[in-house]
Amino acid sequence: MSNKGDTSAPLLAGRDLVKAHGRTRALCGASVDLRAGEILAVTGTSGSGKSTLLHCLAGIVRPDQGSVAYDGQRLDRLPEKRLSELRRSDFGVVFQFGQLIPELTAFDNVALPLMLAGASRTEARSRAGEWLERFGVLGQQELRPGEMSGGQAQRVSLARALVTGPKVVFADEPTGALDSLASEQVMTALTHTARESGTAVLLITHDAQVAAYADREVRLSDGATVAAEVTA
Amino acid sequence: MSTRHILLGLLKAGPSHGYDLKRRHDERFPQARPLAYGQVYTTLQRLVRDGLAEVDGTDADGGPERTLYRSTQAGAHELARWAGEIAAPAPFVANEIFAKVVVSILADGDPAAYLRAQRAAHMERMRELTAVKTAPHSDLATVLSADYALNHLDADLRWINTTAARLTHLTAEVDTA
Amino acid sequence: MATDVRLAWELTRGSDRQEWWRVGLTAAGAALATGFALAAVALASLRGYRSVPFGHGLLNSPGERSGVIVSLLLLLVPVLGFLGQCARIGAVHRDRRLAGLRLAGATPAQVRRIAALETGLACLAGSLLATAVAVPVLLGLWSSPTVPAWAGLALVALGVPVLGAATGALALRRVVASPLGWVRRSRPSSGRGPGLLFVGGVLAVLLLALVAVANTAGGDRARVPLTAFALVLVVGGGTVWLAGGTSLLVGRLLAGRARSAATLIAAERLRDDPWAAARTHAAVLLVTIVGTGFVGIRQVFLAVLDAMQRDGSLSMRRSFYTTGLDLTAAAILVALAITLSGLAVGTAESLANRRRGLAAQVAAGVPRAVLGRALLLETALPLAPAVVLAGTGGMAIGVWYGSLTAGRAAQTVPYAALLVPVGVYVCCLLAAATSLPLLRRSVHPAELRYA
Repeated sequence: MSNKGDTSAPLLAGRDLVKAHGRTRALCGASVDLRAGEILAVTGTSGSGKSTLLHCLAGIVRPDQGSVAYDGQRLDRLPEKRLSELRRSDFGVVFQFGQLIPELTAFDNVALPLMLAGASRTEARSRAGEWLERFGVLGQQELRPGEMSGGQAQRVSLARALVTGPKVVFADEPTGALDSLASEQVMTALTHTARESGTAVLLITHDAQVAAYADREVRLSDGATVAAEVTA
Repeated sequence: MSTRHILLGLLKAGPSHGYDLKRRHDERFPQARPLAYGQVYTTLQRLVRDGLAEVDGTDADGGPERTLYRSTQAGAHELARWAGEIAAPAPFVANEIFAKVVVSILADGDPAAYLRAQRAAHMERMRELTAVKTAPHSDLATVLSADYALNHLDADLRWINTTAARLTHLTAEVDTA
Repeated sequence: MATDVRLAWELTRGSDRQEWWRVGLTAAGAALATGFALAAVALASLRGYRSVPFGHGLLNSPGERSGVIVSLLLLLVPVLGFLGQCARIGAVHRDRRLAGLRLAGATPAQVRRIAALETGLACLAGSLLATAVAVPVLLGLWSSPTVPAWAGLALVALGVPVLGAATGALALRRVVASPLGWVRRSRPSSGRGPGLLFVGGVLAVLLLALVAVANTAGGDRARVPLTAFALVLVVGGGTVWLAGGTSLLVGRLLAGRARSAATLIAAERLRDDPWAAARTHAAVLLVTIVGTGFVGIRQVFLAVLDAMQRDGSLSMRRSFYTTGLDLTAAAILVALAITLSGLAVGTAESLANRRRGLAAQVAAGVPRAVLGRALLLETALPLAPAVVLAGTGGMAIGVWYGSLTAGRAAQTVPYAALLVPVGVYVCCLLAAATSLPLLRRSVHPAELRYA
């Protein structure tokens, strides 16, 4: 995997990852490097192991074999409590849907990670407000996820993922349920903010137009990474 | 792409000279292949010959003398007809990528490697266009023309993916035929 | 009809473990309901003074018998609550499945029949089981049951599954009316079906009790148990209503002031649907009222008994009275157990319905402990004021009873009864806590995949 500026050590590195769900092997020998501040797209057909790869790299599941190194720590060896703390402090996640708590308003959903990190309600809400404004959904702050459009809910999700100032954002088909215009708004918001704040993004998608927002692409095929760099 | 109709359209804004038309064309259609000045000049002459445009005089403007052109009544009619006419939806299925794959199979080449390389090239171009589109202050015309290209590249890419997945079958079919 | 039966069977067979839980628990609830109703019917069919070979003579005379019948029928209330909880298991999935049937071209009547069969067959299994046990026991105790007794037994054995089927069909009204709406909606606004079942059931129990008591006792002797019964229902209804109101209030108050993530989540869930909590807790509150009232009555009653024993004015053996008290205590404990099972089932169900969302929270780094605390708070917050109210109501019953016996014994306030609400509250928290291991299992990353 050669690309410009390969000299720095990767921020997050998965090596020879193997993970099986029951009898099916979702990953067999996938390796991915994510450098600080980089936006990396992981593409592949459905069932190629994209989501499992994200789950392994984000410390949500442990790989059966292989290693995941983040900032000098082996995630695959950390206890669950530490992993949970790390996901809270250093990582942000955006899924297709479901990461917002349906009973909480947009405001409280975004404030929640800050409250979990020990911020006071007032402080959490004031910072949540800044992020909602940044993603253009301040007008929807008192709505609950079910009362917003898909694109608005997804932008609230981005605000929730980025509000703690994470080093890496994991996005699993963040535009999977959106039409192309809403998808464009969400992707523009995500990539702009990530580039501005130097946040690395691992973007899972099957959509080439979404993958084109990334700096680089890794392709998965049958649970293994295949070269996707321009050879010419 | 009908350059004469596009020039007719640009002339609707008022009399212009050739260099001005080229500049405005390139501004209106960013990311399109830029018009050559020679092409603008010959197209304008043909429009005059066909009675769709006429010379409106000359304009010195402190520099060298330049001929001004304007649209005629017939030109306006022709423009309206063309603008309302549908573009034929893919009248001929001519696809360079497909041709290369088939030829590659016939010549015992490596079509899979070719498709991978083509895919990577398409992705690279899509990343470029996305960067152009999402750059701060990019105007709507730029966004829309980039979107057009992105959607076409995306369609190619999807076609490349399904073809790559069915190469074995295709090879068998081409070889037995 | 044959097609419907086959479809209902195929749907049940092909469904996941959750659906089998629903069938099993519904059958168990139906068995309990049938059992209590059969016992009540058998007792109600006795006329005048009969020598019954057990219960220390408590069942011999019509007056005491009517009290026992009312207790048995009151036991149906928590059973109904439990059945209501069971109906909610997998409700979201069942609604989707039946809406899918509608979209596939089934007529509304067909979908209704299939839904009725799904619930009705489970209830039939439970009722048959209970009847199969009850009839030999009855024949062993009573050599020649009368014709009305047999008729009553048959009515109960068949009535339970028929009622179950009817509620099953009723609960699905909206699915039948608008299949598309239900397929698209991600979160149902808590079905009114189980709530209807509960209210309707309680009314049916009230009617049954009236008939049974009038049948056995008649006249003045029925007044005290009936008044107590009516009081329980009034206080119970009021408490349920107040529980909803307080849930809403507690949710509103706390949502604005919550300092911790767990409180915030719990408070917002309460504010979102306060009545869900009130319904779930309806049976808990009734048991609290009855339990608190009973402990109060028992204390006064024993004081009166002691006083009468001292003056030698006791007409029967002391064990005659205490057996009655012990039986009632046992009945209340059974009711509490059933209610707590219902609460545990309800909590587990609410978890199972939110699996994906919870898995996403854990993936985002929300500690499981926070989610667990939120889950417990959801039970604890609205229940606290409601149990206080129910306990107050129960105390009022005890004090009222004490005032009836004024002069016969030293007037005492039954403070021991205050322990009942506290005990019930703790038990409820424990019942809700039984879901915590499930939380661990529910929040599996597999829930995060799509398609």
